[in-house]
Amino acid sequence: MDDFEQELRQAFARQPAPLGLKRRIMQRRRGAVQRRSSPFFVWWGMAASYVSLSLCILAALAIYGGYELRQAEEQRKGEAACRQVMTALRITNHALDHMNKQLAAHNRASQE
Amino acid sequence: MARDWQPDFEQLVDEHQSMVFSLALRMTGDRGLAEEIAQDVFLELDRHLGKIESAAHACFWLRRVAMSRSADALRRRKVRQMDLWVEIKEHHGLQLEPRTSPLGGRLEGLLATLPEPQRAALVLRYQEDMTPEEIAASLDAPVATVKSNLQRGLKLLRAKAAIHLKEYVREKEYARGV
Amino acid sequence: MKNRIIAFIFTVAALTAPAFAQTAQLPAPSPIEKELAARASNVDEITLDKNTLAFASRFMNGKDKDKTATKQLIDGLDGIYVRDYEFDKEGQFTTEQIEQLRAHYVSAEWSSIVREREHNGRESTDVMVKIVNGKTVGMFILDVEPKEVSIVLILGPIRLEDLNKLKGISGLDGALGGVEFNTKAPDKKSGDQ
Repeated sequence: MDDFEQELRQAFARQPAPLGLKRRIMQRRRGAVQRRSSPFFVWWGMAASYVSLSLCILAALAIYGGYELRQAEEQRKGEAACRQVMTALRITNHALDHMNKQLAAHNRASQE
Repeated sequence: MARDWQPDFEQLVDEHQSMVFSLALRMTGDRGLAEEIAQDVFLELDRHLGKIESAAHACFWLRRVAMSRSADALRRRKVRQMDLWVEIKEHHGLQLEPRTSPLGGRLEGLLATLPEPQRAALVLRYQEDMTPEEIAASLDAPVATVKSNLQRGLKLLRAKAAIHLKEYVREKEYARGV
Repeated sequence: MKNRIIAFIFTVAALTAPAFAQTAQLPAPSPIEKELAARASNVDEITLDKNTLAFASRFMNGKDKDKTATKQLIDGLDGIYVRDYEFDKEGQFTTEQIEQLRAHYVSAEWSSIVREREHNGRESTDVMVKIVNGKTVGMFILDVEPKEVSIVLILGPIRLEDLNKLKGISGLDGALGGVEFNTKAPDKKSGDQ
């Protein structure tokens, strides 16, 4: 590891968490636990479960039909294609940036 | 078979809150957002506590989720890459902590100008001291891609840091009245 | 000299009028690319034909400004062909190989608009455009650095002003913040790299 990387390591030292972060996490956690155990939430949870079950059955039929799989696959392929485009443009940008530096250097050399 | 290690949520928060917060901060460059992410990560840990098998697993899990949520937040918030020439003057809400290293105070600003995959690789490498293989497992990416991102990111950071170091020295000299 | 840059900009403006896209075929790879890939420590090989670009473009809708900007850049293109080879050390390719690469991709129909050579011969950049019936139908960039070779071939009505927008797209930042067709450059006096 060279000097720059050593300096990076030093600069990358973990920052202390903000004051009160743990307190806020524990507060939110208590709130979440209360919601999970309140009668209303339990009832809502049960109702949601029945609805979920029905939806699951419908979704299972849709999946069986292949629709969901095809959509997800298409989304995945589309995102992969987008990533390829971005990589191609990044390389193009780098090449043109190098060209720009060369032109600027040439310009400075000519002026000297 | 009974598990030997029992997760203690509060202890995990104590142990890892700085790590999670730092990861989110370095990825997003925004303290407020980083704290939001840190809270969400730990609440998600709470929901999945039953699946955590060991202390090492907890650390791995937290890193992975922190990076994933930070990347999601970046995509949603589109933390813009700052123009190299103005970032010295416009902190865009970043709090640059004064440090002994001239690089340290500018790091968040310089990091924010890197593409997200390179930023992620560098943060895990130099903040968490992870190997490329460990980074690849954390980010669910091929090792070759991680190595490439480390190489490119370091190269970019060196170039940017060199320019900023000159500015830093100039500012110091100006402050001293040189 | 400054005149050179001004001349370059005027040449670009004159040559790069928007053109009706002529469906062009992406080339077959040059045999040199295999040789470079065998020695490279990092290889990026991307071939995006018209259909793939159109497919990717469908996923660039919505409120994401970067995706919208990228979509505008690639819409209407016939193809993008990019090869990037990074090497661990210098001397992994020869000048002859670079010449063969250039010859493989460009023909008499291509006009050179940038031809930069470092005096030591280790770095060069070529930017060429293909003009048919007065309209730009392609752009070729061959960028050579001591440890990196990049080939970019864009088919379709691409303009350099369009590529200048790369600077504004998040995730594409170059070493100095993207393409700038002006004389502003970092101070190199200190010799920092």
